[in-house]
Amino acid sequence: MSAPFFKHGLFGEEASLIVAFAIGIGFGFFLERAGFGSARKLTAQFYLTDLAVFKVMFTAIVTAMLGVTYLGWMGFLDLSQVNLVPTHLWPQIAGGLILGVGFVIGGYCPGTSVAAMATGRVDAVLYALGV
Amino acid sequence: MTSTTDPQGAMRPAEPYMNPYLAGIGLGLVLLASFVIMGRGLGASGAFNATVAYLELKVVPQHLAANPYLSEYVGDGSSHPLKAWLVFEVLGVFVGALLSGLLAGRVRRTVEKGPRVSTRARLAAAFAGGSLMGFGAHLARGCTSGQALTGGALLNVGSWAFMMMVFAGAYAVARFFRWQWR
Repeated sequence: MSAPFFKHGLFGEEASLIVAFAIGIGFGFFLERAGFGSARKLTAQFYLTDLAVFKVMFTAIVTAMLGVTYLGWMGFLDLSQVNLVPTHLWPQIAGGLILGVGFVIGGYCPGTSVAAMATGRVDAVLYALGV
Repeated sequence: MTSTTDPQGAMRPAEPYMNPYLAGIGLGLVLLASFVIMGRGLGASGAFNATVAYLELKVVPQHLAANPYLSEYVGDGSSHPLKAWLVFEVLGVFVGALLSGLLAGRVRRTVEKGPRVSTRARLAAAFAGGSLMGFGAHLARGCTSGQALTGGALLNVGSWAFMMMVFAGAYAVARFFRWQWR
């Protein structure tokens, strides 16, 4: 077991912030590449005119899931050291519903609104202020 | 192609977006890298909360003290609330998106909306949607990034329930808000 690197003390808190910035750049880059800096493109998912949200999200989930599973099997990644979001089913169900409604009205989710602001969308600034 | 109300839009045509499956693989690999390097996934709403907590600490500290959810982001005061992993990650998201947008000629100041909708109405809807989103993310303790993407990849039951509910909520009301894009 040699990963997660951070949990094995390969680097400290300060360096982890640089890692955060680098990972964020990758995250933002692919969000924008996919067209997720556009509220019109994002909400088209909910009018069934463009299913990109579905395709990108589930491809990403499956890619990461396969990676985590294989690296776990190979004994490279210690899965017990990967943080899990605690399950509180009812708040997650209620929060999900409200969030979905907010997504349709506002046109973004918090992460994509940052990508939208970066590409100059004023409506995303108002959205982020709402959050 | 993005449609834009900005007159500069005519200067340089925006490049088409990436194939969604390729972009998904790219996004998945970034998420995987985060698991391997950090032992944690991605997030976004947490950075918004940290920013709000910091502003409240500066302006209305007594209001912050009465809010245990936000107070968590400040902690015991031993470190700066903005010196947090998610805050740096979200700064990276901004830079990464800007980079991708610049490379593709997609950065321009605009309000994204349908041609028949006033700017004011679209901005009001964006703000209202953002507020609802903030409330929902507060309840679920995470947003599309932290819950659906990260928890989904780890096969977290609550995160999958969350994800289904996001789509359910969105599809249920979508037809009432389509006017924004017409």
